[in-house]
Amino acid sequence: MADSAAQASMQPRLQQAQSGGAAGSNTNTGSGSGSSDPARPGLSQQQWASQKKAQVRAFPRAKKLEKLGVFSACKANDACKCNGWKNPHPPTATRMEPQQQAASLTEPCRSCNHTLAEHVSHLENVSEEEMNRLLGMVVDVENLFMSVHKEEDTDTKQVYFYLFKLLRKCILQMGKPVVEGSLGSPPFEKPNIEQGVLNFVQYKFSHLAPKERQTMYELSKMFLLCLNYWKLETPSQFRQRAQKDDASAYKVDYTRWLCYCHVPQSNDSLPRYETCQVFGRSLLKSIFTVTRRQLLEKFRVEKDKLPPEKRTLILTHFPKFLSMLEEEIYGENSPIWEADFTMPATEGAQLGHQTVLSPVAVSGSPLGKANAGTAMGCVSLDTVSSEVLTGEKRKLPEALTLEDAKRIRVMGDIPMELVNEVMMTITDPAAMLGPETSLLSANAARDETARLEERRGIIEFHVIGNSLSQKSNKKILMWLVGLQNVFSHQLPRMPKEYITRLVFDPKHKTLALIKDGRVIGGICFRMFPTQGFTEIVFCAVTSNEQVKGYGTHLMNHLKEYHIKHGILYFLTYADEYAIGYFKKQGFSKDIKVPKSRYLGYIKDYEGATLMECELNPRIPYTELSHIIKRQKEIIKKLIERKQSQIRKVYPGLTCFKEGVRQIPVESIPGIRETGWKPSSKEKGKDLKDPDLLYNMLKNLLAQIKTHPDAWPFMEPVKKSEAPDYYEIIRFPIDLKTMTERLKNRYYVTKKLFIADLQRIITNCREYNPPDSEYCKCANTLEKFFYFKLKESGLIDK
Amino acid sequence: MALVSADTKIAELLTELHQLIKQTQEERSRSEHNLLNIQKTHERMQTENKTSPYYRTKLRGLYTTAKADAEAECSILRHALDKIAEIKSLLEERRIAAKMAGVYSDSDPPRKTMRRGVLMTLLQQSAMTLPLWIGKPGESPPPLCGAIPASSDYVAKQGDKVAARVKAVDGDEQWILAEVVSYSHSTNKYEVDDIDEEGKERHTLSRRRIIPLPQWKANPETDPEALFSKDQLVLALYPQTTCFYRALIHTPPHRPQDDYSVLFEDTSYADGYSPPLNVAQRYVVACKENKKK
Repeated sequence: MADSAAQASMQPRLQQAQSGGAAGSNTNTGSGSGSSDPARPGLSQQQWASQKKAQVRAFPRAKKLEKLGVFSACKANDACKCNGWKNPHPPTATRMEPQQQAASLTEPCRSCNHTLAEHVSHLENVSEEEMNRLLGMVVDVENLFMSVHKEEDTDTKQVYFYLFKLLRKCILQMGKPVVEGSLGSPPFEKPNIEQGVLNFVQYKFSHLAPKERQTMYELSKMFLLCLNYWKLETPSQFRQRAQKDDASAYKVDYTRWLCYCHVPQSNDSLPRYETCQVFGRSLLKSIFTVTRRQLLEKFRVEKDKLPPEKRTLILTHFPKFLSMLEEEIYGENSPIWEADFTMPATEGAQLGHQTVLSPVAVSGSPLGKANAGTAMGCVSLDTVSSEVLTGEKRKLPEALTLEDAKRIRVMGDIPMELVNEVMMTITDPAAMLGPETSLLSANAARDETARLEERRGIIEFHVIGNSLSQKSNKKILMWLVGLQNVFSHQLPRMPKEYITRLVFDPKHKTLALIKDGRVIGGICFRMFPTQGFTEIVFCAVTSNEQVKGYGTHLMNHLKEYHIKHGILYFLTYADEYAIGYFKKQGFSKDIKVPKSRYLGYIKDYEGATLMECELNPRIPYTELSHIIKRQKEIIKKLIERKQSQIRKVYPGLTCFKEGVRQIPVESIPGIRETGWKPSSKEKGKDLKDPDLLYNMLKNLLAQIKTHPDAWPFMEPVKKSEAPDYYEIIRFPIDLKTMTERLKNRYYVTKKLFIADLQRIITNCREYNPPDSEYCKCANTLEKFFYFKLKESGLIDK
Repeated sequence: MALVSADTKIAELLTELHQLIKQTQEERSRSEHNLLNIQKTHERMQTENKTSPYYRTKLRGLYTTAKADAEAECSILRHALDKIAEIKSLLEERRIAAKMAGVYSDSDPPRKTMRRGVLMTLLQQSAMTLPLWIGKPGESPPPLCGAIPASSDYVAKQGDKVAARVKAVDGDEQWILAEVVSYSHSTNKYEVDDIDEEGKERHTLSRRRIIPLPQWKANPETDPEALFSKDQLVLALYPQTTCFYRALIHTPPHRPQDDYSVLFEDTSYADGYSPPLNVAQRYVVACKENKKK
């Protein structure tokens, strides 16, 4: 219905993506190699070249002839082998200066002594247009000459030199440059990278909500654009990290890339092709790991320069996007590279305007009456919907902010502003100065250092395993050997052969801890999905890297890995030295898994103790200690605040020394002044009749569900639509779940109900960018339900 | 009260240090000017291609000033280093006093023992901040600088870190990292605490069971003779532990902040030695050749 408007609204977005991408690739040059030009995606060098060409083409004809003469063979007689006229009086200023007098046609050549006229005789009847074309090549030849000299990499230098000779020959013969030899001609592979990546977006994201799908589409555009201007690593750099056969294939691709994509960017005598259009999966395979690292690194370094809306896009979604793409690039049988790839679902198959349109359609439908059938673009629709709302309850905005705080405090909760304020003070960068180590107080969490190191990329965690069906890559095998070494050194009582057998057994996997490319620890495990548990087989960190929290962080990663794979129990036979470690990691000797489930599956060790750990899928284990630390800090700050408000010190209680065992809380001097209220009184304020509360909440929920901006929150977010949603949002909630909870009489107090409502809003704000459609909905819905809560007397007015 | 006065003293010292650093910069900009003059004079001499008596006198004057400037800057820097040492010793005094009084300076609720990871970090930090010995020209490094042992009559002070040879529960002898509590001149015995508070053990040991740890790092660029050399047998603190083990020097440090790379004696490896591991200068001491071998 709103085709044109939607399209118009998409346009700037795309441009944005492109400019973002281009900006990215522009600055890339530094990260490539320090050499002369290359990946400078053009602009400067390209501009410079075209300026120079314009200059040369504006020369008077005599001057043009002189310039071309330099590249033209002497035609005085067949015996003369001179292949270019050389000025007998080398000019002092550069030849480019137009004011410089053109050499006379009778001027003899410094090398063969024949006149300039005899060198340029073939140009006599040549059109101005052709002359200009040849002159363009002359400028390009000169540039290439410089590139050959400046280039340090021998492979690249060779190609430059080849192109230099090729263009020279073309000027001599007035021909068109065609790269010959074994390189083949573009496209080199089908489907090309662009098609593959677009297929990938369809394959992986077409089921997403339109908004997210659009995001992914933008990311793919940005990725392709970056790739088109990306400087590839030289074959010699490649050789250092790859295998021989791959290296020779890569060299061919690299040469193709130089000739058809890279050099033509600044050298328009050569036909130019886009990297993503002429290359396919094989090139992407060779360059992806490195390019991805460089890309992410670059964005990380330049994150402050990115516009804020791009920043969230890039920093939150891009790494994930690339990881998913990586799976398809290296995966055995990814469909996205098939020539006849089609997406089964046709809905949303056309990424583009349709995707932008759909949120409009959805958000519009509840408002249906007002807009049905009217041609309104999303921009205008937005304003309409917000107008409708503000019109209804005009005074709401300012009233709300004030009321907000009061209301919630009554419920015993802490106002959001206060929490935010406290959060600001504890994350104050000024408070985080000083050497890192001084931050680690005696109470620093055990895994704090490890977490920091992982964030900085000093250590990495990978789940790896051997495979009999497919050839494991060399790196994985090296790591497995490394793991076998670490385990056999750290577990001297285990026979080496036994360790080797299990580490290399394809049914066992190992979470490897990597530092400086070497294995320094790991946990070998075997999953029994049918039995609903995983056996921890070996667990060790190399001795000189111990006591750094790596063991804890390893186990936390393993826990998160298992939550992702739906296994919630760990079982292990711990020897006497390991019991302490496992206890610290939440294992206990109290086994809840029924014996029948593990007997005969788990390896039994004599003299060892069976221990179990139950996982809670709602706990983000690797961040847990950090979260708790934060919470402690917040509470500490809140207490400090309260203390500074009250400012009164009472003498300590002495009654316990006198033998009193228990006193009522309210009899502690000063406790009431802190705002504490006896719970009985608070209960009294609540609705006494559970049915009354139930009906009120039911009514309220029904109203919220029919609100026009409630659509994003009606049902649980589907993992298929937002793959990382449940990694980011730990406590998902939605209106459908709330309805079920209400039915099950879960909301015994209004507090529980309001908390869930509020969580819908906070989850939404956490996951989505603030200016997104979703957050706008959340904002209006939040105002709406607080208004309703107030209206129904559930919170104080 | 003593703690409070130490606080104000430290604050004063920090202010003085701040002043000194500013002075250094002033001094530096002053000498900059003179150095530029020297350079220019040289250039002029080169263009004129002769060394006239005028230039000779001029240069001599300039060089004298430059030398004086450099010495002044140097003395300020040394002064600043002294201040830092003073601050560190005040902090150390305070730490010992607090330890004696059994008070935890940390405002957080006291833990029974420090987390081992934190202890390791503290040990690394103390190795990193061990002062570098900077001698005057011609001065040779003093005892307890790098590999240079303490004099035979040296008595370690309270709070000093030492390697101490103790008998473990299983009867084996072991070199541990310990802190000196006291020394009795009548019995010639040390009282030391295991640095690892989990041990919570106090040992009374004779002098020969104690090796004081270096108090300065030796600068490999200026005093390489004060470092252990390749293949020398030493006692080195095994990374992430509080025990010293016999090791061979694999490579001595190249720069002041570098660590030694050592090969620990380790029978679990085929050649009897561990792969090279890094150990800071602070935790490498000479190994008194023991009888069994």
